[in-house]
Amino acid sequence: MVHRYLTYGLYGAMAAVLIGIGLFSGRFMLYMTMKVMILAIFAMGYNLLLGRTGLLSFGHAAFYAAGAYGLGLVSLHLSSHPLLGIFAGLAAAFVMALVIGFFCVRHTEIYFAMLTLAFGMMVFSLIWNLRSITGGDDGLVGIMRAPLDLGFFSIPLRKANHYYFFVLFFFLLSIFLIHRIRQSSFGLILAGIHENDRRIEFAGISLRNYRLAAFVISGVFAGLAGTLGTLLESNTAPFSAHWSYSAQPVLVSLIGGIHTFAGPMVGGLIFIVLREIIERFTHNWMLWFGIILLVIIMGFRGGVVGALSGFAKQKKTASTEI
Amino acid sequence: MLQSIVHVCLAGLSAGMFIWLVASGLTLIFGVLRVLNFAHGSFYMLGAYFCYTFLRFMGENFWLGLLVGPLCVCAAGFAMERFFLRYVYHLALPYQLLLTFAFVLLFDDLVKIFWGAGSIGSPAAPGLSGSISVLGRNFPVYSLFIIGVGPLIAVAMWVFLERTWLGCIIRAASSDREMASAIGVRVPALYTGVFMFGTWLGAIGGGLAVPYVGLLTPGMGETIIIDAFVVAVIGGMGSLKGAFLGALVIGLLSSFGTRFIPTFDMFLTFILMAVILVWRPQGLFGEST
Amino acid sequence: MSLPLLEIQRLNKSFGRVVAAHDIDLIFEPGVLTSIIGPNGAGKSTLINLLSGSIHPDSGSIFFEGQDITRLPIHRRVKMGLCRSFQVVNVFPELTVFDNARIPLLALRKRAHGLFRPVGGEKDVHREVLEVLERVGLPAEAGTTASALSHGDKRLLEVGIALAAGPKLLFLDEPTAGMNPVERSKILENIRSLSREGKTTFVIVEHDMDIVFSLSERVIVLHHGVVIGDGTTEEIRNSPRVREVYLGEEVPS
Repeated sequence: MVHRYLTYGLYGAMAAVLIGIGLFSGRFMLYMTMKVMILAIFAMGYNLLLGRTGLLSFGHAAFYAAGAYGLGLVSLHLSSHPLLGIFAGLAAAFVMALVIGFFCVRHTEIYFAMLTLAFGMMVFSLIWNLRSITGGDDGLVGIMRAPLDLGFFSIPLRKANHYYFFVLFFFLLSIFLIHRIRQSSFGLILAGIHENDRRIEFAGISLRNYRLAAFVISGVFAGLAGTLGTLLESNTAPFSAHWSYSAQPVLVSLIGGIHTFAGPMVGGLIFIVLREIIERFTHNWMLWFGIILLVIIMGFRGGVVGALSGFAKQKKTASTEI
Repeated sequence: MLQSIVHVCLAGLSAGMFIWLVASGLTLIFGVLRVLNFAHGSFYMLGAYFCYTFLRFMGENFWLGLLVGPLCVCAAGFAMERFFLRYVYHLALPYQLLLTFAFVLLFDDLVKIFWGAGSIGSPAAPGLSGSISVLGRNFPVYSLFIIGVGPLIAVAMWVFLERTWLGCIIRAASSDREMASAIGVRVPALYTGVFMFGTWLGAIGGGLAVPYVGLLTPGMGETIIIDAFVVAVIGGMGSLKGAFLGALVIGLLSSFGTRFIPTFDMFLTFILMAVILVWRPQGLFGEST
Repeated sequence: MSLPLLEIQRLNKSFGRVVAAHDIDLIFEPGVLTSIIGPNGAGKSTLINLLSGSIHPDSGSIFFEGQDITRLPIHRRVKMGLCRSFQVVNVFPELTVFDNARIPLLALRKRAHGLFRPVGGEKDVHREVLEVLERVGLPAEAGTTASALSHGDKRLLEVGIALAAGPKLLFLDEPTAGMNPVERSKILENIRSLSREGKTTFVIVEHDMDIVFSLSERVIVLHHGVVIGDGTTEEIRNSPRVREVYLGEEVPS
């Protein structure tokens, strides 16, 4: 019970800090915090698939890009209303994840990973080569952050400190939704799949359908991250669809802790901050990142959150023993 | 028209042979160790850089560089298997893949530190430079040489695996690990050996690529590893015969694709990979599980 | 006229040269506590896998309440009411006992799709889970993590998960494997009383005849994939063919 209030307290504190940053910080801090939140949305959704069903996808960059290009195309050609753009991006990511997922969830393990890689790279190759639609290697440029027009009043988003609260809203919404999903019947079934995917079918549950659902949900969150990232940068990058970009949420989840709810958020923060610090001092951030990754895999597979909660548990049992 | 098709074929074959060299090591390692090694492309890159360095040091002797360079890369492969990979065989797939991915990041940046982030121009192979006329159009001699070397290595590997005692043990270990250890094979040592051999194959591919690619770049391993994945998947993960034929198919497909439908050239490769995975996940030549 | 619960027609399955099921014809009527016995390698596991859908037969048909289920996937069969338990402990180790039983019940009551509704809000499912735990004798362990249970209790939970799916016909694969005599008599007593309730028809698969003889109303004997005996306990005990094949092999050990 105490643990539960502590958790709520921590989330409350996080929300307060994030609001504080939005009110009192400079442009750089705002930009970095938005990047952390967007990456965390991407990773939280991704981890619903990886952490709960054990499926490792190399195709989620494609859904991120679907969100990005969906928003970009609507915003450039139809209407620059941000909610319409986000809706288009989410719809594109949803449809793409449904189609790709339909084929991919037939397999598991390495075959699943390779199949998602293949589909993801198909999307990348289309984005890269269909210059007339996607802008090829330049991406879509000049995407405006139009005011958020809600009919009776409209909120400007052009300035970073305005857009920040827009991102914060979606970040908190994502946390809420994913938390609810994990607590739901569907979430319990996913936990069952994670524990024992052979047995789950003998409980009368279609393994394939639940995997597909988890795949699509995580794909939609990737799409949401894509739309928010595009509005932040005001352009789309074709390499956001490349398979190596799919490695990012995996790394983030791993740093934070795959089997924890807060892992992807903590991981996202560490990833962005660490990258910024390392890049400031050396040109070789990949080297350091590789080393960090090695250390995590060889010794700290629970990730930061896993290690912390493990430590807390140990302390608790130690104190009860005394 | 005929001339053009023949030339596109030849270009595809030579490109396919490089993919085959990388994919052969990849698929061999997967077949025995059951680990898909993202860093295999890095071995290709390291092979190229080491060859280049040795041939510079040893009086521009390409062949000597080709001999020594890949052996140095083998040492890197040894370290990777012995001190890292060995401890994750029992872990879930994501950890294994990410471990090898960590090495991709590491090797890429190490190359940048030691050889610089820019591209390096590479020398021609002595005696194999220049072109000869094929059906009235010039074709590089070195590419023809590569088209010859690829099958040669394939045959050598086939003889090694099918006709020698060591090859027999490797095949036994790849089909049943417990059985192999029960009959007295030292499986850990065998794994290290196979990993080093696979590393060597990738590195020799990189070494041979030095005169072919013209420019050495720190990211050169990442492009070829994806092709090698495609090839390994199409042929059947763990199947050398499949990797050879798969490499030919992918080499030719992308060569014709670039020539005739450049917009969908990459798309074709990956849709082939996806179709095969959906329809026959064990690949064209893999054993069904 | 009433349809039999399960009907198997000329079922065949072989693995390479090993024939695991040869022209098996069987009919299971509701309410009859049946045992399938046979020495190791007789084809019992294959039969249970064929019926529950883990593997597909080379030829032959399976009908459940008159419907052809030969090619149906596992989860569809479970939904129709054909379920099984496992010989090795096959539970959800890091979930609580309660959640272990809750998963099949959610599927049974079609409450497994709720995305945003907290699972704790399913009050009737909650009540039914407690009922199931009561029936298998684990009500006190509801909050325990499954992996922390004793071996005997894990076996009970194994049966509990299978029961929670609301089966009309339940195959129990060596439900007493690895149990001590006390646990064994407890679980057998459990099965007897559950069978009397009449909601579920039990079929016990065992290699040890003695365990099931006292319990069963009908015994089926398998040997090398062929049914060599089918009748009451008394008939099987006196069948010369069964004695020759089955006892002849069992005795030397």
